[in-house]
Amino acid sequence: MKRKWFLSCMIVILALLAACNNDGHKEDGLSLIKATHPKPMSFDKETTEEEDLIQSVQKDIEGFEEIYDVAVLKGKEDILVAYKVKHLQRFHMKSIEKKMKEKLKKKYPKETFTVSSDYKIFLEAVELEENMKDPNYSNEKAEKKLQEIIKLKNELT
Amino acid sequence: MGKKKNATPEQLQYQELEKKHEMKRPVVKNCIKAFLVGGFICFIGQAVSYFYIYFFNFTEQTSGNPTVATMVFFSMLLTGFGVYDHIGQFAGAGSAVPVTGFGNSVISAAMEHRSEGFILGVGGNMFKLAGSVILFGVFSAFIVALIKTLLIRWGVI
Repeated sequence: MKRKWFLSCMIVILALLAACNNDGHKEDGLSLIKATHPKPMSFDKETTEEEDLIQSVQKDIEGFEEIYDVAVLKGKEDILVAYKVKHLQRFHMKSIEKKMKEKLKKKYPKETFTVSSDYKIFLEAVELEENMKDPNYSNEKAEKKLQEIIKLKNELT
Repeated sequence: MGKKKNATPEQLQYQELEKKHEMKRPVVKNCIKAFLVGGFICFIGQAVSYFYIYFFNFTEQTSGNPTVATMVFFSMLLTGFGVYDHIGQFAGAGSAVPVTGFGNSVISAAMEHRSEGFILGVGGNMFKLAGSVILFGVFSAFIVALIKTLLIRWGVI
């Protein structure tokens, strides 16, 4: 009996730990439990205009009381906004997203936004922002990654 | 048990006698046990779900499917080793209501009828209990999807 217990526990633990030897993440690994406040980034052209735009987008989003962490990334055309909702506000996730989309559309009618409260999207955004700090990481690569994230966000099945 | 109105005097007498000797069911205690064990199973499920979000390309939306499959697989293993029976005895509904109960019902039926051969025994009886879960699950999903489609058509939601 004891051996069977031990065996089944071992299989479960092994299955869980099998993929844990991934040491690629640094900062983003902790973003599950704490607020990381990543810096908003634009990797198309680094003009002050662009900087101001994403700074102001981030400020607007942070103005929402239901939210505690925001990541803003701007590519060539798309702006990705990923945020984390406070736990007790998760019941109102849909209405928060709707409110946010309306506000962004009103204030920045020319830009295309991809808004997501999904944890995976936030994780990927933080990872991309970390990668951008590396000077060898090219803008094309970043743009490609951003498109991948947006595609992941739109996937439903 | 028949209704009290139609019972004969002997039956009534017997029912009274039965009540005197019957052990009281510890309903509150059972509920608490079921709540704790069921909650713990869901906690493991949440961990598995975050595992898929972290190490694979699954979002919060899409991680549900592999999580369910993994939990059913775990409970199948535990049933095979004879561990899940003990959990079921202790927790009752707490172990039967989560999706792990589904895996348990499949494997326990398969084990029970193994002596009758693989085709008529295992194959024919494997979904004895789980079959009703699948049938009514698919049927109710169909009804709900139908209602949602109609409501969207009519512009209610």
